[in-house]
Amino acid sequence: MRFTPTELTNEELDLQQEVRDFLQEELPPGSHEPCLGMAARKDKAFSLKLAERGWVGMALPKEWGGSDRTAVDRFIVVEEMLRWGAPVGHHWVGDRQTGNVILKFGTDEQRERFLPQICRGELGFSIGMSEPDSGSDLASVSTKAERATDGWIINGTKIWTSGAHENDWFVCLLRTSPMEDGNKHAGLSQLLVDLTSPGLEISPIPFLDGSHHFNEVTFNDVFVPDINVVGDLGMGWHQNTTEMAYERGGPDRWLSPFSTVEQLLREAKGSELEDTVSDLFGELVARWWGIRNLSLSVARLIDTGEAPSVESSLVKEMGTRYEQEVVEKLVHFIDLEYSPDSDSLFERLLAQCVVTFPGNTIRGGTIEILRSVASKGLKGLPA
Amino acid sequence: MSETPGVDSLVTETADRLFTQICDHEAVQNAETSGDAPEIWSAFADTGFPWISIAEDQGGSGGSLLDALEVLRLVGYHAAPIPAAETGILGGWLFASSGHEIPEGPITVLPDGGANVTGSVTGDEITLSGTCIRVPWARIADRIAVLLEIDSQSIVASVDPKDCLIQPMTNMAGEPRDTVCFDEVKAAVAPAVPGVDLESFRFRGALSRVALMAGAIEKMSQLTVSYTNDRVQFGRPVARFQAVQQHLVWGAQEAALARMAAETAAREANRGSAFFEIAAAKLIANQAAAKATKACHQAHGAMGMTQEYPLHHYSRRLWAWRKEYGSDAEWSSWLGKVAVSQGAQGLYPLITGGSLNLD
Repeated sequence: MRFTPTELTNEELDLQQEVRDFLQEELPPGSHEPCLGMAARKDKAFSLKLAERGWVGMALPKEWGGSDRTAVDRFIVVEEMLRWGAPVGHHWVGDRQTGNVILKFGTDEQRERFLPQICRGELGFSIGMSEPDSGSDLASVSTKAERATDGWIINGTKIWTSGAHENDWFVCLLRTSPMEDGNKHAGLSQLLVDLTSPGLEISPIPFLDGSHHFNEVTFNDVFVPDINVVGDLGMGWHQNTTEMAYERGGPDRWLSPFSTVEQLLREAKGSELEDTVSDLFGELVARWWGIRNLSLSVARLIDTGEAPSVESSLVKEMGTRYEQEVVEKLVHFIDLEYSPDSDSLFERLLAQCVVTFPGNTIRGGTIEILRSVASKGLKGLPA
Repeated sequence: MSETPGVDSLVTETADRLFTQICDHEAVQNAETSGDAPEIWSAFADTGFPWISIAEDQGGSGGSLLDALEVLRLVGYHAAPIPAAETGILGGWLFASSGHEIPEGPITVLPDGGANVTGSVTGDEITLSGTCIRVPWARIADRIAVLLEIDSQSIVASVDPKDCLIQPMTNMAGEPRDTVCFDEVKAAVAPAVPGVDLESFRFRGALSRVALMAGAIEKMSQLTVSYTNDRVQFGRPVARFQAVQQHLVWGAQEAALARMAAETAAREANRGSAFFEIAAAKLIANQAAAKATKACHQAHGAMGMTQEYPLHHYSRRLWAWRKEYGSDAEWSSWLGKVAVSQGAQGLYPLITGGSLNLD
């Protein structure tokens, strides 16, 4: 494990400024209700605007509609979007991981079909991993794809499928051959499934605050053509693990409460609160500065061609816990009752953080699973 | 040991090898008992390491502040019981920036520079009075560097410890932190170059502790990974238990965070102004020390609570270093004022841009 310090080049700093200017123009503070990190509103018009600037799927090759930019460039765009609370929900999953999966494992035909549309900000993706009986033990998934002429017939149920009711496609981890004794990682494959396929039933699972993100997606003899199989049959576990590495360690794992904190400072300015919260802000900026440097170092490592899975797991485990700590500190320091319908934007955001952030250490792999991944990687280092 | 950008890898390798040879568990323990480690100091001094970052024509070894801080990180990593920071980037820096001769032996400094000592200057001589506590290794120092601000001018005195009354005291790790009494002590004094003052001394002191702490936390984390993979209970290494994995991961994270903070602050300090980075790094290191120590001790069980097992060399030093050159409260207060003064829109640019965003 090694996090090598890095810093932004002048070109990268220019990009940062460009993104800041864009956001100032498009979403001036006060003009919009900031989102809390990656669980952001879907705003296709906004996604299309970003795409026009080349900021969606930007690390994908130009050949497939991308901009040939680096993981660090993407990091810069994403961190500015998230700290601003921008509505990145529509293109989020496609930009972060599905585009990478299709580029890495897909056929040229799939790249042609999907990547330019991802880069234009048009397509929305969901993730089809968890099932009612398979959560952290993901390799135990039992949704079956059975051989048919020119394709596969799928039966089973996926769960916690965020945005399935609004998105266009999802990449599903499915069992394409029966579980063998002692090797549950074999026989799994990744298939691209059209969310409008006949036989697919999408039912909402209301989020604890009543909002609609989660769905249960039931497959009743859903046909998926062979051309939608991603990568090699039976290699789904390996591909899925690679996909998870893209999902971990980025700014989405430590910036979710930032817009809330910024709003506190905006509202506290000039009031008695300003003195009270000063020490709190000292702690917050220090740790955010530290975690950001680690996360940026992971992005730089990805650009050198490495797959820093231990490092990204460590950052995600720490970052998501930190997001919760930030909220706890705010709650501790702020002597007022907040509510979702308060006149104060800060109070509305804080209420939302308090209620929804317990999920931050669960989504995309619970911190318990991340600890297991990371601690195995720590073994064998010199003492 | 992997490379740090900008650091001479020969410095890293040589210092690591040296300390591995001369600074084992037993040597560190013996130093604690006797209150001194002359053989470790002389091996260290023979390499010229103590005076890295001080120009050769000023009596130093040359090299950059980055290299000097890398050596300090390794001093922390090996719990080397020597006044490396005091002789080099603190005391050596004060002497070099005021034209005093660099002595052959160890130098020490007063933890607050000299803020609690009074002095009256006559020509190029000063008469010092006052008592200063927790002075590192005063008992073995060749000279004490004292920094005072008189009439807005920073001046540095080079004091012979033999002229002072020194009462041996120790910190929580058993390292010398002596009480030094100046009873109208006369010493040579010279003005310091601009930029050397009590404030910059405090930041530099904090930077030295951050480097030491980053090394010690990393060592604690590595000891913990190693121990929990060797120690078998219920028929398997305890590292395989999820409850223990939590401690391994938390220790490794704090080690990574502290080292990243130390190296980033070092890079900025080597380049110029680094007030934000140093303040943030010290606060991070202080908090990392607390979190990592708790996690690493817990994962070790009773063995980590013994003198026989080396964990305490690091955990006890961390408790002491956490309080030196600024506690959590001091730095969070400093950073908080800076952060709030940026205003809401300036908050994130402060996190990404650091000292560059400050006037």
